[in-house]
Amino acid sequence: MSASAHPRPVRARRRSLGIAAEGTAAVLFATAAGDTGGPAATLPLGDTTILGRLIEQLATLDVARAWVITRPQWADAVEAAAAGADVEVAVVASPDVADDLRAAVDATADVSGPLLLARGDAVTQREALAGLMADPRIVSGILVSSSSARGAWSFPTRSARGRVVSAASGYHMVRKPGPFFLGLLKVDPRDRAALADAAGRLADLLDDPPERWRNELARKATAWRAGQWLTERKGQGAERPEPAQWGTLELQPQSEATLDLRVRTARDDAVSLLLVGLVRSEVALANRHLRGFFYGRPRNAETAAEAWDRLQSVDEDRIALDAAVKGSDGFFTTFFVSPYSRYIARFAARRGWTPNAVTILSMVIGAVAAAAFATGSRAGLIAGAVLLQAAFTFDCVDGQLARYSRQFSKLGAWLDSVFDRGKEYLVYAGLAIGATQGFGDDVWTLAAAAMTMQTARHALDFSYGAGQRQVIATMLQLPLEHPEDTAGARSAVDADVADASVDDDTEDPLAAAEREREGDPEADGPEEEAAAPGEGEGEGEAARPRKPPPPLFSRRWFARKGRRAIRRFRRLDRFPALRWGKRIFVLPIGERFALVSITAALFSPKVTFIALLVWGGLAFLYAFMGRALRSLSR
Amino acid sequence: MTPGPLQIYRDDGPLARAIGRLVAAPEAIVAVLGAAVLGVVLGLSDDATPAGLLIGGVALAVVIVATGAGRPHDGAFSWLVPPVLRALEYAGLIRLTSLADPDAMPICFALLAVLAFHHYDIVYRLRQQGAAPPAWTRTVGGGWEGRLLVAAVLAAFDVLGTGMLVAAIALTCVWVGESVASWTSYARALRPAVIDDEEAEDE
Repeated sequence: MSASAHPRPVRARRRSLGIAAEGTAAVLFATAAGDTGGPAATLPLGDTTILGRLIEQLATLDVARAWVITRPQWADAVEAAAAGADVEVAVVASPDVADDLRAAVDATADVSGPLLLARGDAVTQREALAGLMADPRIVSGILVSSSSARGAWSFPTRSARGRVVSAASGYHMVRKPGPFFLGLLKVDPRDRAALADAAGRLADLLDDPPERWRNELARKATAWRAGQWLTERKGQGAERPEPAQWGTLELQPQSEATLDLRVRTARDDAVSLLLVGLVRSEVALANRHLRGFFYGRPRNAETAAEAWDRLQSVDEDRIALDAAVKGSDGFFTTFFVSPYSRYIARFAARRGWTPNAVTILSMVIGAVAAAAFATGSRAGLIAGAVLLQAAFTFDCVDGQLARYSRQFSKLGAWLDSVFDRGKEYLVYAGLAIGATQGFGDDVWTLAAAAMTMQTARHALDFSYGAGQRQVIATMLQLPLEHPEDTAGARSAVDADVADASVDDDTEDPLAAAEREREGDPEADGPEEEAAAPGEGEGEGEAARPRKPPPPLFSRRWFARKGRRAIRRFRRLDRFPALRWGKRIFVLPIGERFALVSITAALFSPKVTFIALLVWGGLAFLYAFMGRALRSLSR
Repeated sequence: MTPGPLQIYRDDGPLARAIGRLVAAPEAIVAVLGAAVLGVVLGLSDDATPAGLLIGGVALAVVIVATGAGRPHDGAFSWLVPPVLRALEYAGLIRLTSLADPDAMPICFALLAVLAFHHYDIVYRLRQQGAAPPAWTRTVGGGWEGRLLVAAVLAAFDVLGTGMLVAAIALTCVWVGESVASWTSYARALRPAVIDDEEAEDE
């Protein structure tokens, strides 16, 4: 039995408080065809249809009104599929994608709340939708997945510092593609004018697609053809054909039909076009990762039934709990704290504890730990070490509880950060007192030095992040007519990837939470696109004429050397041991607290401070060098 | 022009701002240069160093760093400035304490903790409230440059420990008090309008 039948108590309570956004409206595009020519959105799913289930899910997420845009010949079928749920649904018939966009804007002109734009043929879990729609920290944003199986027939995006800086559609490409856009776009009322404007310009362009757009779609179609060709020969050891031959590869009739359907679906992908429109209008959009949830776009009754089985077989609450754990935590937190702290978080959620109460509890335990350290006795140091770990556990619990029960507050986030630092420096003071009491050591200078280094290290992280966000905010976007994204975007900011040189506890919380690639077990599964050679967007790079090597020690020479060093270093991330090694080395908060506990319990406060200074100093140098290299390489 | 986050992170006092209006030197270069000067001055000083030389050396370093204060901080290496300022101020205070009044190191630690609260508060409130603490909180604090200069003078008069204690208490009251007040008014501003109506009826 699915866990969704038992709504978690916290959520129910929250809704009665009216915190969730009121008057959300949805526009669902049921314009994609299935394998048999009918609308994919009306395929059967359990005892309803894909579209019907989606609307039922939206009804539980405070969506009161929905418009379903479809082709005139499908209007009756879509109308029947959409009826029944507790949502006011209007079906709008539209002949083509240009009119889809105009209809979406016209129909929602009087909607004052947030607007969700989505594909009507998407199958996913309610909690995945809620992660995008009910998270107040996402003002306007999209649902993405790094898994190419989940992202099949979807287009990639690229983000920097948690903000979408480039998106693709049938007619647009992304250089250095990142996660796939899953066709769910939340637009805040403040961004509605930009949406309407972008939709209008897109619709005008779509009436007579520019040549560059048609070339881009043809380029994609050619790459997809090669992908289909390889899929047909899977397991037969067929060699990858040369790109020049891709366009002339012969496909079996069924593959040819699938390819044709894919091109038509891409051409009519209104949500992806709107996303490109918003990104190019410099609207700030956040990412919400799918993480462990399911997402699929069945194209026939058979795949719809498979999707239904998948939905029935997973424990939605379990995934929600897993998803509450930050993906980017350090090694110690991930392997020694999160495995059990999530159950404390669930326990806390069921008893209706607030994250702020847990934060304060953690601070109090931290203060008791500092007092225990201050005794200077062996027993006191050991007790302090254990208490500090308890405080750190609750420090992880508050964030997981907030994400699991979706109780976010600005004050809570501030309190969490300030108390984290307060706890740490209070423990330093306790250890310094303990050193005098129990060991006759005067280590106040070491304690002050350790605090100085940690504060400077955080300042380095904050400042580098702020500088990057400044660049992103002023980054120019190309007009919609251009299929390619900005050339400048290639090097101006670091794209979001799992990055060991970033201290997670000092990052922008949302960006940090989402920067990790999702741990999807199917990410490397047997999906059809794995072998597709053309999915790598922007592969024209090799064709560009080679520039002459820059003079020694010039600005460009440094830039080149820097880029090469970064690339080589990034390559190390392919080995999990090295990736974790890098993450441990930067001494994030979990490792720091573990280091304090172990050295204080086994040795003396003096050893603790020397260890903090030596390891912390090396970590500082490492973080500084990484950023300096990147700044040089721009 | 509204200052960007990096300029706010600097935590300049009135003196650095005034110097920054007069001269506009590349902020990252002068920050590193000034930090190096301060390191040499304080590193080579000992108990016998004349007070005038020490104060003069600290003043020179402060002026060098402050010449970058007025710039927009949008260069490729501007992110270097705030961590350098944190390091040079905190390390400068530690070194001055160890030179002039080693027994006052716990007080120095307490002062650094208060400064750290202020510096983290700037970042976290900018992030969560969308606005940094008001400019007067940085003026009242004297800025990194003011605190370093005052500490050097107090060290020369052998009252550094007392001075730091007074500063720690006073700055705690101002900064923590202001932060708490800001969150109180922030929470009130977020409250739905319905509650305002009820309050109006009570009157």
